[in-house]
Amino acid sequence: MAIRTDVVRIYRQVHTWTGILTGLILFVCFYAGALTMFKEPLERWITPPVEVTPATLDRAEELVAATRALRPEVRDFTLAVEPALAGEAPLRLTWTEERFDPAPWAATLAPDGNVAVEQLNPSGIGLLVDFLHRTVGIPGDLDIGTTVTGVASALYVVALVSGVIILLPSLVKDFLILRVTRNIKRLWLDAHNVLGLISLPFHIVIALTAVVFGLHDHIYDTLDRVVYGGQMRQVAAASSPFRTVSKDMGPAVMLPPKEFLARAHTLAPGFHPISLEYHDAGTGAATVRVWGHDPRYLVRREGFVLMGAVDGRIIDTQYMPGHQNGWSATVSAIFALHFGTFGGGIVRWSYFLLGLAGAALFYTGNLLWIESRRRTERQAKGQRSGGPVEQSRSTRLLAAGTVGVCLGCVGALSLTIASGKWLNGLVDDLHAWHWGIYYAAFLGACAWAFLRGAPRAGVELLWACVAATAAIPATSLLGLVLPGPWVSDGLIGVDLVALAGALAFAAMARSAERRARSGPRDSVWSAPQSGAEAGPEPRLHAPPLANPAE
Amino acid sequence: MTAAPAASVSKTPTPIRPDWWSKTLAGVILGFLLAIALAGLFSWIGPGGPSAVNKLQLIMWMVAPIWLGVVSACFLFRSGRQAWLWLGCATVLAHTALLAARSPLLH
Repeated sequence: MAIRTDVVRIYRQVHTWTGILTGLILFVCFYAGALTMFKEPLERWITPPVEVTPATLDRAEELVAATRALRPEVRDFTLAVEPALAGEAPLRLTWTEERFDPAPWAATLAPDGNVAVEQLNPSGIGLLVDFLHRTVGIPGDLDIGTTVTGVASALYVVALVSGVIILLPSLVKDFLILRVTRNIKRLWLDAHNVLGLISLPFHIVIALTAVVFGLHDHIYDTLDRVVYGGQMRQVAAASSPFRTVSKDMGPAVMLPPKEFLARAHTLAPGFHPISLEYHDAGTGAATVRVWGHDPRYLVRREGFVLMGAVDGRIIDTQYMPGHQNGWSATVSAIFALHFGTFGGGIVRWSYFLLGLAGAALFYTGNLLWIESRRRTERQAKGQRSGGPVEQSRSTRLLAAGTVGVCLGCVGALSLTIASGKWLNGLVDDLHAWHWGIYYAAFLGACAWAFLRGAPRAGVELLWACVAATAAIPATSLLGLVLPGPWVSDGLIGVDLVALAGALAFAAMARSAERRARSGPRDSVWSAPQSGAEAGPEPRLHAPPLANPAE
Repeated sequence: MTAAPAASVSKTPTPIRPDWWSKTLAGVILGFLLAIALAGLFSWIGPGGPSAVNKLQLIMWMVAPIWLGVVSACFLFRSGRQAWLWLGCATVLAHTALLAARSPLLH
């Protein structure tokens, strides 16, 4: 396809700048995002198995009533239906004090009818991975981190469009070709193009949705002023599922939990309920949201039907798969496309692999820029091709930053997952420990990369990633012989994926080592030579950095 | 709106000026205002009117693709001046249309 060369040249610059500005942020978002596809298995891998006999919902009504009597101020709580029926967790009511509270409160029923209330101390690894995915780990208010990822995602959309434009002229000739030759830059470019092209639809969906997730508050504010004349809150309130619920806060008797499930089944027989979420329980305004899945529809993580808890009437179905109007269903479908909550296991695994491939895309993108700098600097210094080039300071810094951030994120996540199983039960606030370990390892890796320089740190941090990731299956193996850790039933997949990851990192470490030793001497990846370990070729032409005007 | 300058460019051999700052600012600022106006137009004159249940959410979702489409395409303008001119006209036009669409419905 013919595109004017000046257009291609301009878009190559657009692609370079948007890519360099966002590559590292997007790497963390994608790597953590890939892990969010399996955050429940990760959470269970870290949690010691408890002996729970699968419960029935016969005593759920008693549990709700007894908890209400003991803690009348708690009016919003959740009854997890599916985990109790499957024997994964006891029959209990849980509630949190704030929206993203890693340590919820739980009320369970003893055989004698007494209620025990305790604060749970879950690993919350899923919450950590999710926050990392949304904020890149920027501490402080959630809004700051999500705004940063939102802006990065906006640049990422532009990077995608510009990337496709510069690829179009050679698309037919080079389509899906991977040239494994001595020209390493060509190989990286082919790998970058293949990865980008085959996952382009995924990337477009993820990029556009991520912009909205990051910046929706700002877009809504502008819409409110410009389009809705300051009346947007009323428009939104008129769409709320709770819009017709009474404000009656007087005491009222609620229907038993089983009744809500029965009514949800009557409404949608294909709907699998997961949990019941109570709001204003015990009052005349009490409602229950029956949350669940319906594999036949594109749903946000889960859909729900809203019922009156006192009379059991269906109040709202705008979030119930198959019972939405066109606007709601379209928005739900967009959410589902980002979350991968459709199509079952195949889509889940595909999103996991596409997420990892996306991370690789940004890593190779940065490497490409660094390789291209070598040529640019050679031209800038007017050297004959073939002579070694002294790498500039900015190239060295970007190389060190790429290595530190990317490998630091990978290694720190593996380390905090593996150590969760060792620390569980030993520490009071496991979730805070998870964050502490992550930040310490991540910042340590970044510092290490800048102190040691990209070539040496690249190899060393890759081996650190191998060790941290291999620690996951090693912990499970030790669980077979040691009394401390345990083997988690049915979670061999976590160990196998970690093992495969460790092997992949080991292969990368070995090839980085080879390159540092015997790759082109002027590469930013080449190991710095001291007199003793100088390679076979003497460095006759290497210009000193202090004399760049050669 | 980008087709017009692109077509006129193909007749002249002068290459596109980069004009990074002015084009980027035109795309980001005017592109956003244009996207808001177009989404708003759809809200008011599209099916169901502005207060159809949950339509607001989709209106918000429409903004990002339009906005970033404009940002991506704005480097095709011959110069930064052209970008501000064309996108400015389109934005003023779209907002005028939005005001017109809202007026009879504002009680």
